[in-house]
Amino acid sequence: MSPARAAGMPAGGHAPRAAVLADGLTVGYGGEPVLREVGFEAPAGSRVCVLGPNGGGKTTLLRALTGELRPLAGEVALQGRPAYVAQTERTRLDFPVSAQDVAVMGTLARGRWGLPARRVDREAAAAALERVGLRELGGTRFGELSGGQRRRVLVARALVQDAPVLLLDEPLAGVDPASAELITALFDELRAEGRTLLVSTHDVASARSFDLVLCLNRRQIAFGPPERALDRESLEATYGSELIVIDEPGPVRAITVQHHEH
Amino acid sequence: MRTAVAELALLAVAAGVLGSWIVLRRLAFFTHAAGAATFPGLVVADASGISPTLAGLAVALGYAGGVERAQRSGHAPGETATALLLVAMLATGVVLASDVFESGAGVDRLLFGTLLGLGGGDLALSAAAALLAAAAALPLGRAWTALAFDPAAAQMWGMPARRVERILLALVAAAAVAAIPAVGALLVTALFVVPAATARLLSGSVSGLVAGATALAAAESLIGLYVSLWLDVPPGPAVSALGAAVFAAVLAVRGRG
Repeated sequence: MSPARAAGMPAGGHAPRAAVLADGLTVGYGGEPVLREVGFEAPAGSRVCVLGPNGGGKTTLLRALTGELRPLAGEVALQGRPAYVAQTERTRLDFPVSAQDVAVMGTLARGRWGLPARRVDREAAAAALERVGLRELGGTRFGELSGGQRRRVLVARALVQDAPVLLLDEPLAGVDPASAELITALFDELRAEGRTLLVSTHDVASARSFDLVLCLNRRQIAFGPPERALDRESLEATYGSELIVIDEPGPVRAITVQHHEH
Repeated sequence: MRTAVAELALLAVAAGVLGSWIVLRRLAFFTHAAGAATFPGLVVADASGISPTLAGLAVALGYAGGVERAQRSGHAPGETATALLLVAMLATGVVLASDVFESGAGVDRLLFGTLLGLGGGDLALSAAAALLAAAAALPLGRAWTALAFDPAAAQMWGMPARRVERILLALVAAAAVAAIPAVGALLVTALFVVPAATARLLSGSVSGLVAGATALAAAESLIGLYVSLWLDVPPGPAVSALGAAVFAAVLAVRGRG
């Protein structure tokens, strides 16, 4: 029995076709696997939180789902080509492109890569910038925006791709509160459009607002709705010594202590 | 003289267009190496009466293919692969020139260019390079820009990133060969990298960069040509020195502002 079935799918009539599926997935970078035996199914239109400590394999999972990393074992299947927003900025800040130019790049993923951008492409980019609250900054050079604004531009570029599945790696880490609020509100809109979201975070508190939670710590610890996946046992297995559980009546409350390497 | 001016104007178009993505994609070293690596082919052609253009093209494209393959297989990072191939090609050229063919004075012309002995064939080749560069940049420019800006992301967008990249490398290699009769194998970067790098300091958009790089390449090479006639030096070094001076001046002014 696969872990996905062991953890159970959300209750409801017939289960919709999985938009994201991993089965027996093991991935690594050449040496020991970084992540083993991951198996879950995310139905279309669900918001899935990928929860785990730093180094727990969240980014590795997302990179395997994009196809950038080839699985050592097992398989992944996605509905369509996903849009991916990376955590670490791999973009170049000294580049002569505006926020609008960066958003337009998303249209390259829609099959017209060998032709100049059209007016509809520019309009799609402007609309996406509007959705992340940056329409009036479209002409600003990308490198001159704040970190949170740049993250929102990259989210806009992902929106322009019009992908059924969006993979976002720690989209809220190090982002100013205004940007974080905007991005979170956007998650709900995207779900309403029937898109599937996988959002990684190491923040237990924010995981509770998702439809499904996937706990990772170099292997799959739990998968299911938050009230089931975020029980004390799973949280302890996910975070180990970083976890402080606050014993109170009601749902388990937990905070984590980040050990930063210097 | 009229041939020389036409040649430089055509090369300026190829250099301005391709140079913009050479600096954006950080291919300056590759470009320099693609030009310089043709040296052994040119020596052989010079001594045995083969068309130097064909020999240069063959070597430059083979060289670009070799660099791309070495990069892809992941055995050597890009810069190291380029440097190793460049050294091997230059050494082969020197051995061929000095010990095998005893080329003598012709070597100077191959390395540093001449604008006086240019023929219709050279002009046609430069026109072809300019046309091809413009014809490819129009549809593919934004894909090149995206690949330079965020290669990891662009590779996930379902466009044939490798093929798009290879077209750019092949165009740069071919255009470098077209520039060799005028500026020489060692000074190709004077046209293809220096004007674009200067324009890069001043431009806020990719289209502005292309326009600025083309205008600068044309101005620097034409003024360089007159300086070279005036001072009786080969045109390649005159254009290079002028380009370097303009770059330094722009950098100094911008650094102060």
